[in-house]
Amino acid sequence: MNSIKTIIANVIAIYRRELQSYFASPFAYIIAGVFWLLSGFFFVAILMGPEGLIAQAALRDQMGITTPPVDVAYQFLSYFLGILGSLALFILPMLSMGLYAEERKRGTLELLATSPLTNWVVALGKLLGVVTFFLTMVLPLLIYQAIALSAANPPAPITVMLLGHAGLILMAAAILSLGMFISSLTDSTILAAILTFGLILLLWVVDLVATSIGGGLGDALGHLSLIKNYTTLTQGILDTSSLIVFLSYILLGIFLTAQSIEAFRFQRS
Amino acid sequence: MIEVEQLSKLYGSTPAIQDVTFSVEAGEILGFLGPNGAGKTTTMRILTGYLPATSGTARIAGFDVHEDSMAVRKRIGYLPETPPLYGDMTVEGFLHFVARIKGVAAGDRSKRVELAMRRCNILEKRQVLIRKLSKGFRQRVGIAQAIVHDPPAIILDEPTVGLDPRQIIEVRNLIKSLAGDHTIILSTHILPEVSMTCSRVAIINRGRVVATNTPEQLMAQLAGGSGYELEVEGDTAALAARLHRLPGIRTVEIGSGEGLPKSRSQVRLTLEPGMDPGREIAATVVGSGLGLYEMRRVRVSLEDVFLELTTEEKAMDGSTAAPSSDANNTDAAPDSPGGEAA
Repeated sequence: MNSIKTIIANVIAIYRRELQSYFASPFAYIIAGVFWLLSGFFFVAILMGPEGLIAQAALRDQMGITTPPVDVAYQFLSYFLGILGSLALFILPMLSMGLYAEERKRGTLELLATSPLTNWVVALGKLLGVVTFFLTMVLPLLIYQAIALSAANPPAPITVMLLGHAGLILMAAAILSLGMFISSLTDSTILAAILTFGLILLLWVVDLVATSIGGGLGDALGHLSLIKNYTTLTQGILDTSSLIVFLSYILLGIFLTAQSIEAFRFQRS
Repeated sequence: MIEVEQLSKLYGSTPAIQDVTFSVEAGEILGFLGPNGAGKTTTMRILTGYLPATSGTARIAGFDVHEDSMAVRKRIGYLPETPPLYGDMTVEGFLHFVARIKGVAAGDRSKRVELAMRRCNILEKRQVLIRKLSKGFRQRVGIAQAIVHDPPAIILDEPTVGLDPRQIIEVRNLIKSLAGDHTIILSTHILPEVSMTCSRVAIINRGRVVATNTPEQLMAQLAGGSGYELEVEGDTAALAARLHRLPGIRTVEIGSGEGLPKSRSQVRLTLEPGMDPGREIAATVVGSGLGLYEMRRVRVSLEDVFLELTTEEKAMDGSTAAPSSDANNTDAAPDSPGGEAA
């Protein structure tokens, strides 16, 4: 009982410190700013650009095409979430790169490692912190989407919107968890960012590789693909296997991080 | 309070420390004295549970540092060689964070943080971001994080390194004020530091503890240094002056040795480190027309260690300390511990 309370208190302590350091870092604001700028640009381009969805729908109306009916809101959501997913690919390694590399460089890992905390408590607290920061980056986007989609007819599919964004956060958590592991392997933040980017690019396109391999192995590899599982969710399909894949990545990342910190302490010379 | 037995640590096949054994009583300050690379940091990291030992045991407050690591971690405060500080936090925020992860109860935290800041004299900097603090203040915040949870044992790795002389005095006074309530181990490679702060000294060299004693006795041993004991017969009136003229002689002491015939005297010579004018000594004694009945080398095993230690405060920042002046200071420093003011 008491120990569970202690564990939760420790996770919260690490979480708060991590989150606080993002909000105190000018670098994090720059990343958030770029993310908001780009996502805002794509929002306008997809919806209201010359080739945008509204222009296309208007064109169809003019030409008198009524079947099949277009659901602009639904189409918009799946496009826009796809773009957000791709943006996240570039943004997330920059958020996760410092999680452990900075601690190693500053020597604060020695403080954490000699405090009565287990490695996975530290890893979990850090992951929750960085995921929360990404969540605060996504929340403002939800507001302007809600405003735009409230005008949609047929009405915007609210479940697709929520599920899609939940999928985005879940995928981000999976990427950040793996990024955290890579960050724990080095004390260079730049190296951590590059390696993380390489790894998630690989996981992003692994279904292309899978299709070319084919067979049972290809099938298995296909399930690991981030984009495939993410697209399932952004289409509004609550697929348990996709959730399990993302959760597995998250747990794997935390587990590997805890192991690598343990190994780092045991092998350092 | 702290018991270390036969502790060894191998990095690959290279031993970092071997059979390190010592103990610290409650309330004591143990100085861990040794040249750079002697194994001080390794030993401290094992004590704090940061590194596992290859063999041997270490216990703090009765808990094995490896078996009961969590229990030990709650009971120690640790200042690594580089203070583990988050630059983006305020002093107070950081200390609150440390208090929380060290398991200080929520109700006691503010009081403990306040107390730690007061003891380390950083109250006026409580709202300042740590990255804006000077080196001396950072070191004090480092010590504050080591004492914030009121641990029975405190381990400080080179707490005065890189500070200016005034800050060094402040940090030393702070450490001294912590003794009694806390058991402290501090490491240093500065010889006068131990005599000023520690109640006991363990000297470590090449991974082995070569001596454990009080600073006074170690200094006495060092002052005895390397030298010769002679038994001579005849009138020694002029001998002392003659011996003094030889190169490498530091002190000459002539007395009537116990149990010696009246005509014989005992001569004790101490030498400058690295000098060995044995041939000249014998020649001088014989040349003075005295009978030489015994001439015995007196060797102190610690000599090698002390030669590698920094013996003078100013040499810390120091590129300028030439080997010869360093050697001369080896004997000067223990006699004048107040020399740091210079």
